[in-house]
Amino acid sequence: MMASLIRRLPKASTSFKWIHSTSAVYADDPLKHKEAPIVENDVILSDQEVKEREKLSHLISLPKEKTLAPISGVPEEHVKTRRVRIYVPPKNAMQSGTHNIQRWRMEFDNRERWENPLMGWASSGDPLSNMNVDFNSKDEAIEHCEKNGWKWFIASEDKPKKERVKNYGVNFSWDKRTRVSTK
Amino acid sequence: MAAREPAKRIIQQVRPILSVDREEARQRVINLYKAWHRTAPFIVEKFDIPKSVPQVRQKLKEEFIKNKDVSDVRVIDMLVIKGQMELKEITKIWKQKGHIMRYWQESIEYKPNDFLSKFMSGHN
Repeated sequence: MMASLIRRLPKASTSFKWIHSTSAVYADDPLKHKEAPIVENDVILSDQEVKEREKLSHLISLPKEKTLAPISGVPEEHVKTRRVRIYVPPKNAMQSGTHNIQRWRMEFDNRERWENPLMGWASSGDPLSNMNVDFNSKDEAIEHCEKNGWKWFIASEDKPKKERVKNYGVNFSWDKRTRVSTK
Repeated sequence: MAAREPAKRIIQQVRPILSVDREEARQRVINLYKAWHRTAPFIVEKFDIPKSVPQVRQKLKEEFIKNKDVSDVRVIDMLVIKGQMELKEITKIWKQKGHIMRYWQESIEYKPNDFLSKFMSGHN
């Protein structure tokens, strides 16, 4: 309220010249103060600037569009022609744990690879060939692809893990034929 | 392989960048277009590119038309900001001739179709 009053002051009185400087803020001797005074933004800003800030301070409602492709900076070639595979990484067939497969991963389609004539190593001209991004759920991965304008497809099923009784005693139950003869 | 699900229309509350509605964003785009349009003779003269002023303006139009389907006000604002940045880079001559000519370079490389062009690009 006070700030708006101050802002309106120069307009009301044309004879009085308002000086926007820090020295105007000190009522008494400025040498007595140890620090520069804090000048409020509202006093310094022009009316137009204040209006602009006021306008931008509110939220606006927009339909949730998924268009980041025009401003993401990714070349058109790698937006329009790429196809993303969304899948759950397969379990290691050996006795490793399963913690690394509880996620959804996106992967781009394969592009040309060739044997480099210099050393015989593999070469590729594809900047997205090694970009694997992990997501917690399928939907997050889909949303990410939609936002970036890539075509996508789901390559895994969303199947829940089979429930299994983890009980040592079950191995010796009398009616399950799990007891192993030692003879 | 699952089919693409239809995108849901959800209204969300977001923070604006420069414009609060489409009309304002549109005005910004038109202003930017005008500024670029006026710069076309300067570009041809200063950068000594093998293009004429109408060709530069044709390209300019193409670049703007490319994003005609963008409907998000914030994305439009961001594109306007990027456009202004590029315009400044040109008028201050931070860009060079090659950077200007890059606008005429196709960003998508089409695959060769006939025998000879496949052979030349090293594909069989």
